[in-house]
Amino acid sequence: MANDNANNATKSETAEAQLDLDPQDAAVADAVLDEEAKAIDGNNKAEGEFKRTGRMTLYVRRFFRRPSAVVGLVMLILLVIFALVGSKFGKWHYEDLDFLSLGTAPNADHWFGTTGGGSDMYAMVVRGLGRSLAIGIISSIGTTILAAIIGTSIAFFQGWVERIGMWILDMLLVVPSFLLIAMIVRSSAGMSGWLWLIFGLVAFGWIGYARVLRTLTMSLRELDYVRAAKFMGVGSFRIILRHLVPNLGSVLIINTVLGVVGAVSSETSLSFLGLGIKAPDTSLGTLLNDGQSVVLTAPWVLIFPSIVLIMVTFSVQLIGDGLRDAIDPYSRSGGKAK
Amino acid sequence: MNMFRKTKPAADAAQTPAVPVASETLASKSTYDPNDKSAPVLEVKDLRVSFASEAGTVHAVRGMNFQLHRGETLGIIGESGSGKSVTSMSIMGLLDSNAKVEGSITYHGEELLTKSDAEMSKIRGKGIAMVFQDPLSALTPVFSIGEQMAEALTIHNPKMSAEDVRKRSIELLTLVGIPNAEERLKSYPHQFSGGMRQRVVIAMAIANDPDVIIADEPTTALDVTIQAQVLDVLKKAQQETGAALIFITHDLGVIAGIADEIIIMYAGRPVEKGSVDDIFYRPVMPYTMGLLGAVPRPDKSKSSRLVPIPGSPTNLVNLPKGCPFAPRCPMAEDKCRTAEPDLLPVVGRDGQVAACYRSGEIVSKNLTFRDVYQVGEGIKSKFDGVPREDRAVVLDVKDLKKTFPLTSGGFLRRKIGVVKAVDDVTLDVREGETVALVGESGSGKSTTLLEIMDLKKPESGSITLFGQKVGEKMSRQTKRDLHSHVQYVFQDPMSSLDPRLPVYDILAEPLKVLHKSKAEINTRIDELMKLVELNPDQVDRFPTQFSGGQRQRIAIARALAVNPQLILLDEPVSALDVSIQAGVINLLEDLQNKLGVAYLFVAHNLSVIRHISSRVAVMYLGRIVELGPTDDIFDHPLHPYTEALLSAMPAPDPQYERTHNRIVLQGELPSPTEKIEGCPFASRCPLRLTLSEEQRRMCDTQPPKLHQWSGEDRQVACHFAAMA
Amino acid sequence: MLKYIVKRIVNYVVMLFVAVSMTYFLASAFMDPRSNYMDRHPHPPVASINHSLDLANINDQTPILVRYFRWLKAIFTRWDWGLAPDQSPVGPAIASRIWTSVELVTLATIIGIVAGVSIGVYTAIRQYKWQDRTLNIIATFFLVIPPAVLGLFVVLIAIAINNGVGTRIFYVTGLSSYQGSNPFLWLLDFLQHIILPTIVMAIPGTVSYHLTQRTYLLDSMNSDYVRTARAKGLTLNQAIRKHALRTSLIPTTVNIAFSITGVFTGAVITETVFAVNGLGRYFVTAINGNDINGSVCIAAFGGVCTLTGALLADILAAWLDPRIRLS
Repeated sequence: MANDNANNATKSETAEAQLDLDPQDAAVADAVLDEEAKAIDGNNKAEGEFKRTGRMTLYVRRFFRRPSAVVGLVMLILLVIFALVGSKFGKWHYEDLDFLSLGTAPNADHWFGTTGGGSDMYAMVVRGLGRSLAIGIISSIGTTILAAIIGTSIAFFQGWVERIGMWILDMLLVVPSFLLIAMIVRSSAGMSGWLWLIFGLVAFGWIGYARVLRTLTMSLRELDYVRAAKFMGVGSFRIILRHLVPNLGSVLIINTVLGVVGAVSSETSLSFLGLGIKAPDTSLGTLLNDGQSVVLTAPWVLIFPSIVLIMVTFSVQLIGDGLRDAIDPYSRSGGKAK
Repeated sequence: MNMFRKTKPAADAAQTPAVPVASETLASKSTYDPNDKSAPVLEVKDLRVSFASEAGTVHAVRGMNFQLHRGETLGIIGESGSGKSVTSMSIMGLLDSNAKVEGSITYHGEELLTKSDAEMSKIRGKGIAMVFQDPLSALTPVFSIGEQMAEALTIHNPKMSAEDVRKRSIELLTLVGIPNAEERLKSYPHQFSGGMRQRVVIAMAIANDPDVIIADEPTTALDVTIQAQVLDVLKKAQQETGAALIFITHDLGVIAGIADEIIIMYAGRPVEKGSVDDIFYRPVMPYTMGLLGAVPRPDKSKSSRLVPIPGSPTNLVNLPKGCPFAPRCPMAEDKCRTAEPDLLPVVGRDGQVAACYRSGEIVSKNLTFRDVYQVGEGIKSKFDGVPREDRAVVLDVKDLKKTFPLTSGGFLRRKIGVVKAVDDVTLDVREGETVALVGESGSGKSTTLLEIMDLKKPESGSITLFGQKVGEKMSRQTKRDLHSHVQYVFQDPMSSLDPRLPVYDILAEPLKVLHKSKAEINTRIDELMKLVELNPDQVDRFPTQFSGGQRQRIAIARALAVNPQLILLDEPVSALDVSIQAGVINLLEDLQNKLGVAYLFVAHNLSVIRHISSRVAVMYLGRIVELGPTDDIFDHPLHPYTEALLSAMPAPDPQYERTHNRIVLQGELPSPTEKIEGCPFASRCPLRLTLSEEQRRMCDTQPPKLHQWSGEDRQVACHFAAMA
Repeated sequence: MLKYIVKRIVNYVVMLFVAVSMTYFLASAFMDPRSNYMDRHPHPPVASINHSLDLANINDQTPILVRYFRWLKAIFTRWDWGLAPDQSPVGPAIASRIWTSVELVTLATIIGIVAGVSIGVYTAIRQYKWQDRTLNIIATFFLVIPPAVLGLFVVLIAIAINNGVGTRIFYVTGLSSYQGSNPFLWLLDFLQHIILPTIVMAIPGTVSYHLTQRTYLLDSMNSDYVRTARAKGLTLNQAIRKHALRTSLIPTTVNIAFSITGVFTGAVITETVFAVNGLGRYFVTAINGNDINGSVCIAAFGGVCTLTGALLADILAAWLDPRIRLS
């Protein structure tokens, strides 16, 4: 969770730093994009084949040009496949207990060993990975949607409404959201707990992000080509759809992806403390909790879920960074020798 | 052979002790005699600079040569990307580390290019100082002016006492014309206006009596009246220090009055060099001719069409073989396209050099730009011969006011005052004419345009478009109709065209608002592209694939799409290069004559206004101070502000600049928040100084109204206009 | 300047009040102390349950506003933060643990800022060099490690080191175990305990300051005024150190306020991992025991930490930036 905040701070700050850029810079960045489009499509360049499909291929190519992004993508795909079909290969169901091998080290029968209670770690990790991934992805999408709606609407209002809105946003950031989520999730135990956890993560996770989107929308609203559209009598809705959303869109996609890291991190932290997912349900966080007490006697209970967890967050982060470089015209984190 | 073997080491041995001698001579040179004008302070030889970029190697400078003596002023003229700024940055050693610099730059005979950053830092600011373009960002916001001045002094004189530093700082700030220098030492940059900050930068540049001052577009970001002040300060600074000055600019007017010698750069190379009079009156290289011909004159009535240089500036990555100007040059022949001409002395001229194969022919036949370039014929206006009174009024603005609330910081923002951005503006625009709004930044000219474009009931006063009063009760349909009659062109085509949309979609947008069919849109876009002289096959490209001038043409095409009768243009050519400007201005004229559209044109460049407009409204602090036909106002200004503004505008004519007695306004534009009882211009008015006590009181207490000027078609807002 | 700070403080106090009140309502709505009794088999008589709940002012049958105003009154008149469901007073319980957490939070924040900003500056100056790239990879790695995993692995490594050396260098539980009176030995013992939890809590902050400070400094390094400074005769390094660094620190101050929330949550996890008896662990117990008053009190403490950070950030920003100071 602390990590989540660190992560949030980083992404909000980079986004805010981006806002300081002139629209001119964005245009320059776009110019670079187009130069590349030219370079890429240069060979089969029949006039009139510069439609946005070209731009999509450009994004894809830029993404795949980064080895780290490709590694991340492959890693994540493997993890998802593992979560979906991994249980088919295991010999044990995650709810079965093998009373003949309590706390045994990894062996041919129990690939990842067993817990002190006789649960098969392989089955538990597959199950926990699925839960953690689901929670991370769903709540990140939810957070983005909520933040986008609130952040952009605040930007469209001005005067008192906006000031009060901003004050409330600041106020909501005063009490660590972690504590509030823990309170909400507390009231629900059992198998529906993970839905409550998603609810909590979304309900208190959107705030900082909404602030960033507000600032971004405000600067977009002032762009000349948005004003130009207004002066041509283009309707507000059309302006938002044609000129604002494509601009916000890339930011939203990138942040949804990176948000998964934060959400997974929060989930595991809460579950680790016994405040998130609770038995009989399992997540990577609860497995860490199980592992904590047997660090010395049965380290495999801690190590396997930890490795899987780091693989999840690391792969998503790599994908997110890759996407940012590929899509975002504001991004200068490319590491190109300029 | 033996002899040879013997003498060689001997020669080497003789050379070895020569090194300390050389350095001794250098040391003696640092106690340099300012009267010795024979030895150059700075010498640039065959300077070549290139950068690696994603698109390929950019050859920014390709062989720059010059010598500079103390007290001399060298002007370097070029458009964006011509390599003029890169040249100055290489002299200062401030280029990015990815720049590849070759050739030689010597300062008092010392090679600069091989010096490390630490060694260069001893010369920067002491021997060679620099003034940059944008004064708003040139000073560190978190340090006071005093601290930054002190740093400039102590970095080269670490032993200087605090008291001496203070005294010298005050002395320098007073020299550059900063009032109350002693108190202002404690101020921070954000408390200074742009002109004041540029003075501070100049003060820092001359702090250590440098031998060379490099000024890179030092007045480009400033208003005309402030530009005149800063140019004066620069000249004074040069006189005080006796330094050589390198003045880099794209503005031919500014350079005409200040430079002794001029270098014209194109595509990273000097293409012509000579004395200021030779360059301005007897240019040889067709590019120089084109540049001079493309600029409208502020001091002369519009006589003919401007002559644009065709094409756009060269791409520095894939330079064509041969002369880089050849693709745009009307005189180019096969030879020009195969090998690049060298910079050679022009036969029959003293000290003038040009890089052109046909220079001999140009000199012998005495060709001028009218002979070289095709002076096109303009199109006759639809309304030619119809007197103004008989034309329909398309826009009528009466007593328009716009204020912005001024709030205090903090959470509960109290309103602590208002800024009157537009104050009682009254003007009308008729069919097929161009009315220009002219004024310095903060005069409210752009706000006036935006207010008209908003199509909302104004705060106070009225806006009438084509007889339809703009108000709250307009239906959506009327609003849409009005939108199709009034259109807008922004200053910067880079930001006014959505970079994510292809040109087709950009041009289709206003048409889609009118629910045109796909076929109609297709035909119209084809027409539009031809109208603005672009290839209709290029509609699938993105805006960034076009050059600046072409982008502005697209923006104009978009504005024309719905057949408007009035177009509001906000500085439509000021972001463009000089050689491109003329083409766009001609296009605007042609379109007006062909289509009968009226323009309301905002600009700060008086030459452009004189050329394009038939009527002018001069604005100062949100008010119109003078209004009337363009030639009348330019030839006989009535308001003292108009007079000063016109006088401050430099002309590309060295003779005129030398003899012209410029009115340099004192002080700065008052802050818009200041409450002014009387005439807003009173604080800077040169006329007021000549008035009696009683008359002055009138200026200070009664705001003058814009009134008819004795029977003529002119209006002026000054109590004593008759005395000017 | 003073007026500016006073204004900020007033604003923050109002914010804190509203935020804590909101937390109170949220906790009352979602936490169910009655279940503590009802889950027992057999559960005590309803009347006695109500009596116990009433004593602690957490009876869900009393209207929420009545409870709220009683709670407020007790705090404002007697600084009494109420009782836990087991009738133990919340205030003293928290007071006895507060310094442990304050110690950890403050140390981690300071180390995070100092280390993070220094690394950020170090890497920005060496942009794209191997030092920058290496540190960036390390930062990305730490950025994605969930704090619980980080804590547990630090424990594993510490134990391995202890075993390897054969003597106990690091303690992995508690904050002190020394009973004697030798101040030097006491300090040594304290350091042996506190070093690991501090590292675990400081790493996320360090990483985040590193990455943001690097971006800010790179931005201001390319600005015109750095060029002006160099044109005056400063070397590149002098210009960066004197002109770019100070301006780039201004946006960093804003981060301080936001990062404290993160450090605080980090404290909850770290205290659990290292069995430190601070507020973090108390919070976990409070939540699991449906202790409304206890949870709200900790939330209030968290809020105070955040706003102290925010105020500090304001003062720092004003000190660094004359545009704020003089407006």
